[in-house]
Amino acid sequence: MFLETKGLTKKFGGLTAVNQFDMYVNKGEILGLIGPNGAGKTTLFNLITGVIRLTKGQIIFDGKDITGKKPHQVAGLGIGRTFQLNPLFANFTVLQNVSASFHLHPRSSLLDIYFNTKTYRRNEAYILEQSLEILRLVGLDKVEDEMAKNLPHGYQKMLGIARALAIKPKLLLLDEPIAGMNPDEIEFTMTGIEKTKQRGTTIVVVEHNMRIMDLCDRVVVINFGHKIAEGLPKEVRENKEVIRAYFGDEHVA
Amino acid sequence: MDMIEQPSITDRRKWLKPSILAGLVVIIALMPVIQGSPYILHIFILTFIYIIAAVSLRTITISGQFPLAHGAFMGIGAYVAGMASKWLGWPPWFTIPSAAIVTAGIGMLISYPFSRLRALYYAMGSLFFGIGVIYMVYAGGIWTGGYSGLTGIGSMFGSSKVAYYYFFLGLTMVCLLALHRFEFSRIGINLKAIAQSHLVASSVGINEGWYRILAVSVGCFFAGLAGAGYAHYNTVLSPATFNFMGTLWLVMYVLLGGIESFAGPIIGTSILVLLPEFARDLKVYSPFLSAVLLLIVVFLMPKGLVSLPYLIRAWYTERKKGKKITHVSGN
Repeated sequence: MFLETKGLTKKFGGLTAVNQFDMYVNKGEILGLIGPNGAGKTTLFNLITGVIRLTKGQIIFDGKDITGKKPHQVAGLGIGRTFQLNPLFANFTVLQNVSASFHLHPRSSLLDIYFNTKTYRRNEAYILEQSLEILRLVGLDKVEDEMAKNLPHGYQKMLGIARALAIKPKLLLLDEPIAGMNPDEIEFTMTGIEKTKQRGTTIVVVEHNMRIMDLCDRVVVINFGHKIAEGLPKEVRENKEVIRAYFGDEHVA
Repeated sequence: MDMIEQPSITDRRKWLKPSILAGLVVIIALMPVIQGSPYILHIFILTFIYIIAAVSLRTITISGQFPLAHGAFMGIGAYVAGMASKWLGWPPWFTIPSAAIVTAGIGMLISYPFSRLRALYYAMGSLFFGIGVIYMVYAGGIWTGGYSGLTGIGSMFGSSKVAYYYFFLGLTMVCLLALHRFEFSRIGINLKAIAQSHLVASSVGINEGWYRILAVSVGCFFAGLAGAGYAHYNTVLSPATFNFMGTLWLVMYVLLGGIESFAGPIIGTSILVLLPEFARDLKVYSPFLSAVLLLIVVFLMPKGLVSLPYLIRAWYTERKKGKKITHVSGN
């Protein structure tokens, strides 16, 4: 198991957002994490990446206990992520957004950076080259000099993914990557996700849009902080609990 | 042939900025020869000192933090250097760098708990720290000179303003180069990334807390340096120089010139320190006039005075375009 959560619990005051959540991700797969609004999907991502502290439980990634680690440490271990509301480095260009995200690989020491040594210049040249390659991969190379804040929504979402790829993640957490996109953009993004998987990245994707299920090897359904179903996309689609969670009792055959 | 010999307009534009800059450098470098009056030199020396402090304040702000204690940090540098000189008899060549290091250290200690605060809370926290520093100076009795100020600080060059002038000119140049490199390297990129979104920055592995502390430490180092230089130049220190008003002046220098540009605080400081000297009858009103000037700038050019040339050019091209359009419609 590549990523495993054991008894993950998060309480916000009286509200239990995530309750005794056990989940695992296999290496190399795309796991879909679906569920209605407010089910606790984003909270789960924030717990794994250390943005918020968990109340109880344990998170194990690649054999290491990462419970309670800070966001930058989690990123350092190889977990990249995107955000649902997709914050960007708004006043950087597209290219700068990606190159600024190359903080970890290759990493120059402060003195190298400050004194502009050969090592630093070599690293920066490499970063530039890699950033352009990532932009080509996600199809943003034509707008590399555009300010990130001026991009259309779909492009901004892709930029979020491009930025997460810059840390060379072993595990990529995508928070609603196709929400609010038009059909062309969805097609494009899904191809991009598929390509990323083929390059050997394990992916967990949170989504409302059921189209994402076409990509997933396995699906976990969450509602009110509980896991209500788990399995192959086909199984989950026919699961009564899932239909009830999405459409209510009367739709259960 | 003609095309080669005649420089195009864009070529001339390219040389405009460097040549203005070079001209300014020559004038500033020859200032003591052109206008040797000690008073004028004194004003320029103060300008140099405050340029270091204002630019170092802006260096902290690029990380998205807005401290309201920079005057106090300048004061820490000044008092550390002054006290080391007076009570320990250390020479200026030693007190100035050590005061800068002490100031950076205090900035680092303070910013550790503060690195968890954001925006307004950070400003408030630092504001109270600054006020606390001044009260510590007041409470210091004979050691800090208390209310009556610290006297008897060793001077660097005796009464020769010219020597001070060149010393501070050189120091300012070195500090500006150092801070420029800091901002326009990957360190500065990381700070700017944090300022735009700390969530995204930490998701790509940038250690937000650490970089914020680094920015404050570096900013405080140069504030301490400026303060220590001031102590050895003035040889007398008064706590009032470094109180909240002192901080506010630095903030005004930065905002007037333009907080988004490296040149901003340099221009802002030059105007606000030099201008009152050229209109000495109005000097009593200088706080009011400065406030009015700042309000005008903030409303008309939110990016500060540095954006003035761009605004004028934009306005000029707009007007040209407008004329053409009326001409066409007139037909």
